[in-house]
Amino acid sequence: MQDKKDVFVIRTEGLCKTFSTGGVQLHVLNNLDLDIVDGDFTVVMGNSGSGKSTLLYALSGMDRPTLGKILFDGSTITDFSNDRLAKFRRANCGFIFQEVFLNDNMSIMDNVLAAGYLSGKPRKEVYAQACERLKKVGIEADMFNKFPSQMSGGELQRVGLVRAIINDPKVIFADEPTGALNSANSIAVLDIMNDLNESGKSIIMVTHDMKSAVRGNRVLYLKDGVILNEISLGKYDKDSEKQRLDLLKDFLEEMGW
Amino acid sequence: MWSIVKSHFHKGKTGFFITGLFIALSVLMMTVGLSICFGINTLYQKARVLSNSADCWISVFEAPGGQSQALLEDILKEKDYVEKYDVQEIYYLEKEEGENVDKRLTLYKPSGDNTFFDSWIAMNIDDENNKFRPHLRNTLEKEGYKFYVSGNMIATSSFRVGDGARIVIDGVTYYGYIAGIFDDMTRIYAPAYIYVCGDLYQEIAKKSSEDERISQEYNINIRIDCADEETSYKYQRQIVDELSNAIAQYNLDNLKDNPSAPILYCDYNTRQDFTDGTKAFILLLGTALVAFSVIVAVIVAIIIGFLVRSSVFDEVRNLGVWKSLGYTTSQLRLSYLAIYGVIGGVCLFIGVMLGIGLMPVFVNVVTGMARLDCSKAIGVNVGGLIAAVTFIVAVVAAVVYLSTSKVKKITPLSAMRNNIETHNFRRNRAALDNSRISLNAHLGIKSIVGETHRSVMVIVIVLIMSLLCSFVSVVYYNLNVDQTAIINMSAVETADFYINFENEDSSHYFDAIHNMDGFEADVMFVRVGMSIDDGFNVAQLYENFDHIRTQFVYKGRYPKYANEVLMDYVYAEEKGYKIGDSVNLHMERDSVVSDKSCVIVGYFQNLVNNNRIIGFLDIVDELYDKNNSADAKLFKHMIYFENGKAPSASELSSMLWAIDGNVKFYGFQTGKNYLDSMFLNTVETASEAVMSVFVSVTAIVIALLLVMLIKLKLLRERRNYAVYKALGYTSIGIMSQIATAMLLLGLIGSLIGALTGALTTSPILSMFGKYIGAGHFAFAVPWGYIVCIVLFISILICAVSMLCAIPVRKINPSSLLRERG
Repeated sequence: MQDKKDVFVIRTEGLCKTFSTGGVQLHVLNNLDLDIVDGDFTVVMGNSGSGKSTLLYALSGMDRPTLGKILFDGSTITDFSNDRLAKFRRANCGFIFQEVFLNDNMSIMDNVLAAGYLSGKPRKEVYAQACERLKKVGIEADMFNKFPSQMSGGELQRVGLVRAIINDPKVIFADEPTGALNSANSIAVLDIMNDLNESGKSIIMVTHDMKSAVRGNRVLYLKDGVILNEISLGKYDKDSEKQRLDLLKDFLEEMGW
Repeated sequence: MWSIVKSHFHKGKTGFFITGLFIALSVLMMTVGLSICFGINTLYQKARVLSNSADCWISVFEAPGGQSQALLEDILKEKDYVEKYDVQEIYYLEKEEGENVDKRLTLYKPSGDNTFFDSWIAMNIDDENNKFRPHLRNTLEKEGYKFYVSGNMIATSSFRVGDGARIVIDGVTYYGYIAGIFDDMTRIYAPAYIYVCGDLYQEIAKKSSEDERISQEYNINIRIDCADEETSYKYQRQIVDELSNAIAQYNLDNLKDNPSAPILYCDYNTRQDFTDGTKAFILLLGTALVAFSVIVAVIVAIIIGFLVRSSVFDEVRNLGVWKSLGYTTSQLRLSYLAIYGVIGGVCLFIGVMLGIGLMPVFVNVVTGMARLDCSKAIGVNVGGLIAAVTFIVAVVAAVVYLSTSKVKKITPLSAMRNNIETHNFRRNRAALDNSRISLNAHLGIKSIVGETHRSVMVIVIVLIMSLLCSFVSVVYYNLNVDQTAIINMSAVETADFYINFENEDSSHYFDAIHNMDGFEADVMFVRVGMSIDDGFNVAQLYENFDHIRTQFVYKGRYPKYANEVLMDYVYAEEKGYKIGDSVNLHMERDSVVSDKSCVIVGYFQNLVNNNRIIGFLDIVDELYDKNNSADAKLFKHMIYFENGKAPSASELSSMLWAIDGNVKFYGFQTGKNYLDSMFLNTVETASEAVMSVFVSVTAIVIALLLVMLIKLKLLRERRNYAVYKALGYTSIGIMSQIATAMLLLGLIGSLIGALTGALTTSPILSMFGKYIGAGHFAFAVPWGYIVCIVLFISILICAVSMLCAIPVRKINPSSLLRERG
């Protein structure tokens, strides 16, 4: 897709993130320049501590870089105040976490609506969309009023996915979305993500799992806070999964993974 | 096991701190409250010694050395229980006649504010023969004559030690200043009694021979030889009754011989009058402290219950691990008891130390209510202290033990699953799909229904505090702002003036009063002693009830016929009288005996007087002739003016002086003034203090509760808040969720509490009122105050919740959500 010279949905310039712990400075992101093309399914890989999650949270505006600039859909979000960033996130970003983080005291439906109502769209419309999307990911109406403690891990992650897309964000950020799931549930969640990407959503996913990573069309490899290299896998196709896996394996081996 | 205790401690420091604070507060208040209640008689005894007060005195309006003094001294010498007495020379000073002269005694400030006394009594502070020279305090030395006033005058006026004082005698002005406060338990509420320095006293004595408005009189101060307060009161009453009866008999004998003989007046007071007027309120303060301490203990119990249950819930996994390692349920429950035992023990010690340290301050407040300065009169009562400590220890131990009952049900297996019930049937209350209100407000409401224990706790604590505030505000309003109810309960009529004349023929003075602009009525009344069936009592008899302003009949109706009477409600209950019953009134005067059978047509309440019967003057028509000039002097007159047309006391006296420069009259005290001097001034100040304390403590308790709950909530919910932030909720939005939840709970609690307090104040007071002579309180409910309480608590909750929720701003989703990722 990159070769189409499409519109960049996110662009970073000289992105740096430094943590200070016990007087020691740790440079997690190091002068990183990156472009994310609108409609891409970008996967970020790298060893533990390479800065993958830091990059993800910085791109989504949940964390502030120490230096550098992030342009998101043309806006320099690094200049935004915290409140403006929050409002920006509710309109443009969707999040999927490894542990889902649904509120245990709220039903499935309420967890989705608590995000959906933030959009300011008519509530009936949001509710209808929530119902439709929950059903689409296999959560039936009789489960809407169940609490997170009454559902399986796979079901929860699918609810988390619906929560992430309920406001039709421009970009979906996923931090190890299949990390806590078994194989079947992982495949189901990744299939949904591919469908979303098909429908035009940009996705940025951090993962350690190669089977998850092959779902993306672009894989970045991060090391010591810089993008060491990247590989383009092309559009995902189930039939070519083994081939993609081999390509990725070679790439990662080359990177020293 | 100590490691388990330490782990409990590390996870709830704020909660422990606040619990400890309340434990210390509770034990402090209970120790002080019980010490005051148990030590009240000692307090009065010590105050008597510290102030060097007499137990009673009689003041006779005649120069010392006369027949009456000999008569009274003879009686005193016969009494074994009289430890000592002295005869104190005093001077009674009246205002100069005419209108264009300065006042007799004026107190003034440099700013020009002043107050004056038309008449007052000068006593010599330097009189070395005075065996009851009072204790002086706040003394000040400077140029000028010294005046010493009572603590009550300082408390109820704007004048302070150091302010100016001057008197004018015969055109000569004597300048001086208020040089201090004298403590004398029998003269605290008698503002006209003022001590002056010896120099000035000698000047007054010199002038008295030339000025007929300065009369030499004498006081007899008496000390009763009795350590027991109750017996001492009995003797005090007995001796002043006997002495005043002797003066009354002396008058009657004189009048028999010479109908135009002047009546010899006397005045008296006992220490019992002082203690009666203050004891109920001091005990009330002590009881209020104990009650408040119990309420704080209830709050402690609720908070501990909540903290322990929350801790058990949060620590399920660890508790399961410990059980799997071999710890028994009892040991784990004991670990909770141990942590609260340590905290409770430390805070009990702090509370007890504070109680001992602050006791003089509380005693100062208590004696200050009585206008005395005896901060060291009593210390902490050991019995009270032990009772307070035992009570708090029992409450804490019981609550901790009961709240840990869930530990029994935790098994290692259930703990590993975090005690999550996969088959739970709880309902999704306040679902978002039907929401029509703001999202943050709705999420606030969801947190209320989702955390029932916490919500019930907030409601109950706010309810208790607002109930107390409401209760106190109703009392405050009826004692300070609209005193109609309390005046009605006292059965003291609020005529514009009370007056009687000493002069032989007073008809022309009354004619002049009757011709004044706006005059409405002149109603005679008398207080007489009589036997009601089988016991001696006092009755207040009125000429008519047509102009009565105080609605003192609370059940039944005013008498219409001569044989109808009202009876004191508490007395009637005690003796079994009912409305419609007949009562036999037996009276004697000289050798004349009168028996009247009257019907009880209603009840009145008797907060301050000892009247048992109120009826018509006709009841005593066989004994007294109001048309006879000698008898007429015994009757007082209540003068009524039309609304807003009553002259001032000085205008009325000026008018009377203008008629006759030699007119001698007594009174001019309205019913309200009388009540002020009896107890209203004291309770006004006390209720103001109690109101301020309750409002402050309510604010502190609610604020601390919110600090604890919100800190706990932020700790437990930080991950959910991080997710909210990731989803696009702003910090202020999340803060408003927290504030909305607390505000709603606070509103529910404060509304129920304030309404309950407002509606139950009178019934609750009625339950205890019998002990102070009133069994039926009908206090007005100040709805404005009640609304203010609800608003105050709501605004407080809103402000404190928003402030406590500020750390939400620091919740960083990226760091929190990555913790486990």
